[in-house]
Amino acid sequence: MMKRIQAELSFLRALIGVNLASAMEYRASFISQIVGMFINNGIYFVFWIIFFNQFGTVRGYNMDEIFLLFAIVTLGYGLGFMFAGNTRQYMAYLVAQGRLDYYLVFPRNLLLHVIFSKMIVSTVGDVAFGLIAYSFTGRFTLVEMGLFLLTAVFAAIIFVGYSVITGSLAFYMGNAQYASQQVTNAMLTFSLYPNSLFSGASRMMLYTVIPAAFVGAVPVDIVRYHDGRLLLLLAGTAVLIWLLALALFYYGLRRYESGSAINVNV
Amino acid sequence: MSDVVVNVNGLAKTFQVKQKAAGLRGSVRSLWRQNTREVTAVSDISFALQKGEMLAFIGPNGAGKSTTIKMLTGILYPSAGQASVLGFTPWKDRRKLGYHIGSVFGQKPQLWYHLPPEDTFRLFARIYELDMAEFQKRRDFLVESFQIADLLQTPVRKLSLGQRMKCEIAASLLHRPRIIFLDEPTIGLDVVAKQQIREAIRYLNEQEQTTIFLTSHDAGDIESLCKRVVIINHGRLIYDNSTSALKRQYLRRKIIDVRFAEPLTEPFALPCVETLKQGTHGLKLEFDGRDVPVETVVQQVMATKPTQDITIADPPLEEIIREIYKK
Repeated sequence: MMKRIQAELSFLRALIGVNLASAMEYRASFISQIVGMFINNGIYFVFWIIFFNQFGTVRGYNMDEIFLLFAIVTLGYGLGFMFAGNTRQYMAYLVAQGRLDYYLVFPRNLLLHVIFSKMIVSTVGDVAFGLIAYSFTGRFTLVEMGLFLLTAVFAAIIFVGYSVITGSLAFYMGNAQYASQQVTNAMLTFSLYPNSLFSGASRMMLYTVIPAAFVGAVPVDIVRYHDGRLLLLLAGTAVLIWLLALALFYYGLRRYESGSAINVNV
Repeated sequence: MSDVVVNVNGLAKTFQVKQKAAGLRGSVRSLWRQNTREVTAVSDISFALQKGEMLAFIGPNGAGKSTTIKMLTGILYPSAGQASVLGFTPWKDRRKLGYHIGSVFGQKPQLWYHLPPEDTFRLFARIYELDMAEFQKRRDFLVESFQIADLLQTPVRKLSLGQRMKCEIAASLLHRPRIIFLDEPTIGLDVVAKQQIREAIRYLNEQEQTTIFLTSHDAGDIESLCKRVVIINHGRLIYDNSTSALKRQYLRRKIIDVRFAEPLTEPFALPCVETLKQGTHGLKLEFDGRDVPVETVVQQVMATKPTQDITIADPPLEEIIREIYKK
């Protein structure tokens, strides 16, 4: 078992290395994507700074909480998709176009091989932004920093797991690229708003169909209140999302129909 | 004792294909009423392949060749039938089988496009869990066999198609597969590149007894590599025999090309012989050896005028295959 895990990790390290080398082949593009994403996040953030200067507090969230929310969401998103980028619309595209053949002939864990075969370079900008945003929260105790990193890792796991779910819809719907992209974008967008803004059905949605609360509001509360029960809930949610992702992907694989398109592995 | 590498029994694959009337109206109607049609890609095929054999698995476009390869490599689940490759059921034991097979899909490159082939070779070493010292030896052997030493550090996007394909095949052999599936490996290549690839494949087969499962539309690949041909058409297996038997069975027609020392003054005519071309000094004839013996035609030709040169040829394999596909 240990040998199996070691072999899998060695393979993933090599795959990430090849991805990184491939991304760095075009230096200008590599750097501009990272800087571009950093600026993109910054512009969004400036909106909240102006907003809170005007209104002070919004239903329990002040500027510090917004810093923390942004830090967790962007770091989680960045960590997740920096390495596991072949999810969401990319996975839906591979499935719909019958392009999983490349991965299926290799003796590796199929899902890991697929999702780690693409690196989204711009997410390096998200990671950098997340870490810098955290430095503005003023929460520098070991417990707080530990909880911040731990919840960001859970957010990353949930982001990627949910993206596998949306990407796997292509096995059942055919061309699910647009739907997959929209749903994942919605999760990211809703996660960047204070959770207390939502109530009723929309709030319920953020804990179920589009689980944005588990990558934003819940981690923020865990760091704010050092809440162990919420941490367990977050871990349980991550496990549940991944169980669903695995079931949808591998059950869907039986419906996979391959294709005759000409592929290029970049 | 025979060593069966591939054993296929009654293998079949059907797909559900969406049907829609042409135009916008058809598209709108299909939003609430979707009609599907069952299409049979492969229907009840059976064959076996021995260790070290080089098999040409051929057929026209849409015949079911690629679908069969995809079932034998574990990419697709069959609709019916059984198959065993090296003792594994491909769609159930995909990962276990993956360590022992290689595959090259001419139109689906495995090399990373923006990186030099060396980087993909190293990734493959991790994928197949190769010992690095052993990998290095194997890599050197393949680099030598395929003559690709000067290509290894060049990004794949900068390689010609022939260079890339040599690297593709070398990459697929790094883990010493016992069988390699080659799906149109010479597509789009010039004659020199084709020849180099054929020689390298033949060398590997002789040196390591690697079983070769080849699909190709190029009769040259089949003639120069494979002793056995399986032909599939409309999903059904229609021919399974040696390449030489295929030629014997279908090469009844002969083509005679003559060059005369003196000009021809009258049209040449002989019963059951078709004149393909007649010039002042040249004549090209085609006939069926069952209708008129070769000697008779040659005697008649030589009696016409003094001859400078004469050649008797079989129609190319490509023509034979075309004839079989038409049936």
